[in-house]
Amino acid sequence: MSILEAQGVRKVYTTRFGGNKVEALKNVSFRVEQGEYVAIMGESGSGKTTLLNILAVLDRPTAGRVLLEGKDVGAVKESAVAAFRRDNLGFVFQDFNLLDTFTLEDNIYLPLVLMGKGYEEMHNRLMPIAEKLGIQELLKKYPYEVSGGQKQRAAVARTLITRPKLVLADEPTGALDSKSTDELLDIFADVNRLGQTILMVTHSVKAASRAGRVMFIRDGEVFHQIYRGESTNEQLYQKISDTLTMIANGKSTVYV
Amino acid sequence: MKHNIYPKLAWTGIKKNKRLYLPYILTCIGMVMMFYIVSFLSVNEYLGSCKGGKEIQQMLVLGSGVIGVFATIFLFYTNSFLMRRRKKEFGLYNILGMGKWNIARVLLWEGVMIAVISLAAGLFGGILFSKIGELCMVNILEAEAVFSMSVEKSSVVTTMILFSVIFALILLNGLRQLHGANPIELLHSENTGEKPPRGNWLFALCGIVLLCGAYYLAVTIENPLAAMIIFFIAVVMVIIATYLLFVSGSVTICRGLQKNKKYYYKTNHFVSVSSMVYRMKRNGAGLASICILCTMVLVMVSSTVCLYIGKEDSLRSRYPRDINITVRRGSAEKLEDGNLAKRRAVVDDELAKYNLVPENILNYRIAAAVGLDSDGKMDLSSSSGYDFNEDYTNVWQIYLVPLEDYNRLMGEKETLEPGEAFIYATKNKYRSDKIQLGSSVVFEIKKVLKDFVDNEEDSMQILPSIFLFVPNYEEVLKQLSGVADYYGNQAFSERWMYAFDLSCTEEKQIEIYESLKSCLSKAEEEFRKENLSGKGIYTFSIESFASERTGFYALYGGLFFLGVLLGIVFVFAAVLIMYYKQVSEGYEDQARFEIMQNVGMTKAEIKKSVSSQVLTVFFLPLLAAGMHLGFAFPLVRKLLLLFGLVNLKLIILVTLSCFLVFALMYILVYRTTSRAYYTIVSGMGN
Repeated sequence: MSILEAQGVRKVYTTRFGGNKVEALKNVSFRVEQGEYVAIMGESGSGKTTLLNILAVLDRPTAGRVLLEGKDVGAVKESAVAAFRRDNLGFVFQDFNLLDTFTLEDNIYLPLVLMGKGYEEMHNRLMPIAEKLGIQELLKKYPYEVSGGQKQRAAVARTLITRPKLVLADEPTGALDSKSTDELLDIFADVNRLGQTILMVTHSVKAASRAGRVMFIRDGEVFHQIYRGESTNEQLYQKISDTLTMIANGKSTVYV
Repeated sequence: MKHNIYPKLAWTGIKKNKRLYLPYILTCIGMVMMFYIVSFLSVNEYLGSCKGGKEIQQMLVLGSGVIGVFATIFLFYTNSFLMRRRKKEFGLYNILGMGKWNIARVLLWEGVMIAVISLAAGLFGGILFSKIGELCMVNILEAEAVFSMSVEKSSVVTTMILFSVIFALILLNGLRQLHGANPIELLHSENTGEKPPRGNWLFALCGIVLLCGAYYLAVTIENPLAAMIIFFIAVVMVIIATYLLFVSGSVTICRGLQKNKKYYYKTNHFVSVSSMVYRMKRNGAGLASICILCTMVLVMVSSTVCLYIGKEDSLRSRYPRDINITVRRGSAEKLEDGNLAKRRAVVDDELAKYNLVPENILNYRIAAAVGLDSDGKMDLSSSSGYDFNEDYTNVWQIYLVPLEDYNRLMGEKETLEPGEAFIYATKNKYRSDKIQLGSSVVFEIKKVLKDFVDNEEDSMQILPSIFLFVPNYEEVLKQLSGVADYYGNQAFSERWMYAFDLSCTEEKQIEIYESLKSCLSKAEEEFRKENLSGKGIYTFSIESFASERTGFYALYGGLFFLGVLLGIVFVFAAVLIMYYKQVSEGYEDQARFEIMQNVGMTKAEIKKSVSSQVLTVFFLPLLAAGMHLGFAFPLVRKLLLLFGLVNLKLIILVTLSCFLVFALMYILVYRTTSRAYYTIVSGMGN
């Protein structure tokens, strides 16, 4: 069974004055298997963010459905959505979404505290993760006292500590310098190697070239996919670049 | 750039930020209105022509001064809120290519618009409501009301000048801030990074010590005279302590809670405690200000209301009977019964002309001196009893009263041996079981009496009094005749008190009072001629309850009116601070609200946590104010004693109901402002 499955997802926005309808997603179907690392690429306005919002149950599709471990997330009641998200999904955001009022440690604990876990357990879960992410020294600091890369690592720790079935990352490297980007991508790769399923939306070819599969979205549809297969990062990078060039040139089909 | 773009920009600026500007403009209007009304009343001719009106007007002049100063400080404070939020907009204008000069012109237009609106509406409202103010005052003075509208030009002019100056200063301050900032700073002025709040336990400790000290002072105070001075010391201590505790103490407590891992890492406490630290750090000063304003309002309103309601009581203790006559001895000669009988006959004969007899007669002898107490030894020569620079902590007014007069007045049959005495103390507690007058005369105190008749001299003055009831009164006075007072005169001087009620109208009483006065002074002249040796010089004073009443009412009514008026002004201020606090917190919490949602908090959870924080933060000042009021109560009571108000039940009742009314109002304000808060937080605002 796939961990995530999108079946014919369609999303139509109606503009404020009711007249124009905008079709953000036409018909998106794909599967993500357990342990996969998938990158979704596309230009601005291609529908990436809408898709991510629907996968994250932040938004509901106009048609089609999303299955998480075979369960229709559309069936989750509105009142239970936040808890569902908390228990099953982990998020990494472009702008970190750390609360200034908490230390990094408390920021990381936040979802667990919401789940009602005790301090002992939280602490025991955090230690290996903090070590892996190299943020043990920073735990007592506040978000505004550390760099962007460190903030993002704390945000990743907050995501991983709940042991989510699926990590959804929205432009996780968007606000980072190149060194921090490399570090974060290494972390993602490590985590994935240990079995964590990751779905990442990104603009960055470099970020996407570290994934196991790259999915291209154009005009609200899955336009093309590249599997890493035996390629190295560099080779995958090249393939992605070529694909993007072709998309930019308006080709309707791609042969790579 | 077209010229009318500035007023247009200014106007849309105000309109777009109406959530911020509307309360500000309303406050300006309110301040203008209040100032005009008070200033109008202080010069209003009709009020001045009423009995007691002049006295009230003097008080109102002071009141208008207080309002003027307060308005300046307060409008500056609220304007700083506005500027902080507007800076971003100005930064944007600047980046879009508007020079500082252009922005200054927008600011100028804005200032002018607000000033014009506030002055016009404020004066209009002031003129409209000044009549109500006048009617209130006239009613307090129990004079005839006239129903004609009048406008005091001089007050209009003063109000316009004062507030124009205030608005100009506010504008200049805004321009100064604008001048000193660059566009990037302007853009980001709202969210400049914040240092982690660290509770300073030393400050918190200082706050606790100061507060306990102030409370201790307030509770242990016995002498009302000392209460005056200590009141001010305690007020200053409480103000400092409140600021320290709100700013630092609260953060320290939250930090302490965070250290307790079992407590802190619970769903209910986690978010609340940590955001509370920030909230308190940002709003500590504002909350402390609210708390102090609340306390001020409560103390002021409750004490002036007490005075006003209890004015009949105070009046009665100051003037125990309708007509009160005191005859004082002018020299070393004793107040003989014969001398007294002659004067009493004069009074009774005069009354007979009106077909009246004195009723409820108070008729007793009394000898008075001022003494400095040290463990039951009264030093009669070291205190003048008049000098304001003296330390009055242990100074007593001592009255000797013959025991037989006491028995007669109170209907008792007490007997005492020579050297024994009963004691009755007012305004303070006398602790020793002995009392020594001068160097030789000592009394053993057999009993502390609970009651004695009101004595006008005692209620008039602020010294606490001891009434000493002695069996062999004349003997004792003879023994004391050698003791000198501060000025070298004989320490004890004797009086004869003769007071009575009359069953006739108050107008009649005043008429009788006038004629008694003239015939007593005529009689005194004749007695003096009969007794040319010069030993028989007596002075007398006569006071009428009815004729003093208006003056009394003017004083108490004036205090009451001012208390309520200033109370309203301060409440205005407190409400506005609360409102701005809520709104600015709303904007800050907006982002946090979103993040928490992203992390997986449900809307209900967030709302619960946020509302519990808001509730705590909001009601903390009220609780603290209630506590301050509770501890201030003994002090306030002592101060009211100075005004002759002894009715404890009344004071408690009034204070409690003031607090309840205030709390009710507070809750109403909370409900309105928290609605504004939720609108902003849930993003329906901008």
